[in-house]
Amino acid sequence: MERRTFVKLTGAAALAGALARPAAAQQQTTITWWYHFDNPQASPADLVSQFEAKNPSIKIDAQNIPWGGGTDYYTRLFAALVAGNGPDTALVKLSNQARLLELQALAPLDDMIAGWNGKSDIADSIWTLNKASDGKQYYLPAQYVVIYLYYRADLFKAAGVEPPKTFDEFRSVAKAVTKGGVFGFGMRGGAGGYDNWGPFVLGGGANFSKGGMVSDAALKANRDYVGFFTTDKIVPPSAPTDGFQQIIANFKAGRSAMAIHHVGSSVDMDKALGDKVSAVPVPRGADGKGWTLYGDESNAIFSAAKDKAAAFKWITYLSGEGNAELVKLSGQLSVTTSGAKQDTLHPARFVQASTDSLPIAGVLPDSSKTADFVSTVWPTNMQQALLGQITPDQMMQAIDKQFNG
Amino acid sequence: MTQTRRQLLPFYFLAPALLVELAIIFYPVLQTTWMSLFDFVLFRPNSVPFLGFGNFARAFADPVFWLSLGNSAIWIVGVVALQFLLGLGTALLLNQSFWWRGMARALVVIPWALPSVIIGLMWTWMYDYNLGVINDLLLRLHLIAEPIAWLARPDTTLPSIMLALIWQGFPFFAVTILAGLQTVPAEQIEAAEIDGANAWQRLISVVLPSIAEVLATVLLLRTIWVANSLDVILVMTGGGPGYASYTLPLYAFLKAYSGMEYGYGAALSLILTVLLLAVVYFYVRRVSRVEGTA
Repeated sequence: MERRTFVKLTGAAALAGALARPAAAQQQTTITWWYHFDNPQASPADLVSQFEAKNPSIKIDAQNIPWGGGTDYYTRLFAALVAGNGPDTALVKLSNQARLLELQALAPLDDMIAGWNGKSDIADSIWTLNKASDGKQYYLPAQYVVIYLYYRADLFKAAGVEPPKTFDEFRSVAKAVTKGGVFGFGMRGGAGGYDNWGPFVLGGGANFSKGGMVSDAALKANRDYVGFFTTDKIVPPSAPTDGFQQIIANFKAGRSAMAIHHVGSSVDMDKALGDKVSAVPVPRGADGKGWTLYGDESNAIFSAAKDKAAAFKWITYLSGEGNAELVKLSGQLSVTTSGAKQDTLHPARFVQASTDSLPIAGVLPDSSKTADFVSTVWPTNMQQALLGQITPDQMMQAIDKQFNG
Repeated sequence: MTQTRRQLLPFYFLAPALLVELAIIFYPVLQTTWMSLFDFVLFRPNSVPFLGFGNFARAFADPVFWLSLGNSAIWIVGVVALQFLLGLGTALLLNQSFWWRGMARALVVIPWALPSVIIGLMWTWMYDYNLGVINDLLLRLHLIAEPIAWLARPDTTLPSIMLALIWQGFPFFAVTILAGLQTVPAEQIEAAEIDGANAWQRLISVVLPSIAEVLATVLLLRTIWVANSLDVILVMTGGGPGYASYTLPLYAFLKAYSGMEYGYGAALSLILTVLLLAVVYFYVRRVSRVEGTA
């Protein structure tokens, strides 16, 4: 090749490259995704690069937003959406779906989900739980946890008791193991403790519809729950303000024999206690009815997102091919049937307790008042009832007023 | 330079600082005031009815507001007074001559240098019913017969959180008062000693009057900071149990942040601001007077 020809060809190639680059850049779209993981060191960088390698026209800008008990995350999310500066898509929970709908911030996903081939890998019951009050699907389920009962197998063995199946058994088992500085149940009366209260009170007959909190069954169930602290003395005196850290620390230290949480803490529990810890579904009423919290986590696409198709590609990746990687980062369970079968992250007995709990799993009401119930109404009233500043019945009236007043 | 230009020159120099001040202080204050007149709920931006002074009327009829205000008064008076006394005592000790004085002066600043969240978490675990060092120590000393749930009882919660904040804030008093003590002329103290004044009389009649300006300024400044502080309470109890540790800034924060009721939260903040303006007024007057005499 002549020198002149080589120079010409090189120049042409360089020009073609330079012209081609902006064209590619014009086609590429960036999707902003907000997420939070309990472990602040967990990074979705690998998940993002795997997706980007398969979808070169889509770039994912994954932003880790502080959770702060949910308050920080959602206040930032709502403020950003109101300011027109929100993400295209984000991890969200059902307790805020009504508020997001009221803000008209959610894009319906029904049409896109109908054409998604991963739809059948998610159980119908999960699709139903995630449906909004207007019957549309705004959330694409990604992962979940179910609240169950941890128990200290060593303390149970020493006391000669078996894991409780009913409320009455729960009380008698807790009484049997409460001695020498050990309490039967590490009740969570502080932030987030509604998921400890729900199985006993909602499972005992209360519900959020008008009058559902003040029916005879509901009032009795709440009196019994408050009574664990005030009369039965089977929970530590610190229960009114005990949060997640306290109940877990007490359980690990052998200061409480039962605690209510989900599979998210199972790896840590197993590491600390080995076969001294196991789990079963939360107890039910004598009639066999029960309730436990389905802790959902989905992805939503916001109505202001410019490229909803690209955003949908990303969130279906998170609920499909990339789901195993996502649940590794979050410590939760896969919503997909195939993913659940392949779970190797959590000890099997805790996965079993989770799946066994699914038949009674439910969610809090799809109402804009739910978030305030969780963060303020429940803790302040629960704590006052435990301390005798109000009666358990007044607590239930306050909750009824919050939703139906 | 003309007379007019000369007169305007200071304003040109001040303009950048004033503009920044307007943007980051006056504009948010005006926006908060405006917001307090509306029923502004963050997730209902399309429905923001004008209430006039409705949010303020709601606050005055709200029992939690009055409870929070009462707790705020206990919080401010208790924390500032005890931080002051502890800081004064520490400053007097650190003003003495001893071989490790330099190290002691450095060590005493540590609580002040720690972030509030760390302070909150640290004291929460120290107070823990089952695993806390405070209960363990008191049990070993036979001062209590059984552990106390310090942060779960309405009678002990607020004092327990106050103790954590007193521990965090007393170094500020100590260091500032120590700086003031070092300006007291040694001759005056010696003269009082020759006149037969004992240590207590020298402190009351010579030392404290000499640093009165410093004491007043630091007390006013700290009152404003303590009145506004909510981070340690938020971390330790979130306001609980019940409303036992609710203070006014915490209530405003929770209404705005958890409840997303920005209108009501803004009204609560403004009420706190108006109450604090009285303290700010005395502070500004004092600063102006000190600068005028300098």
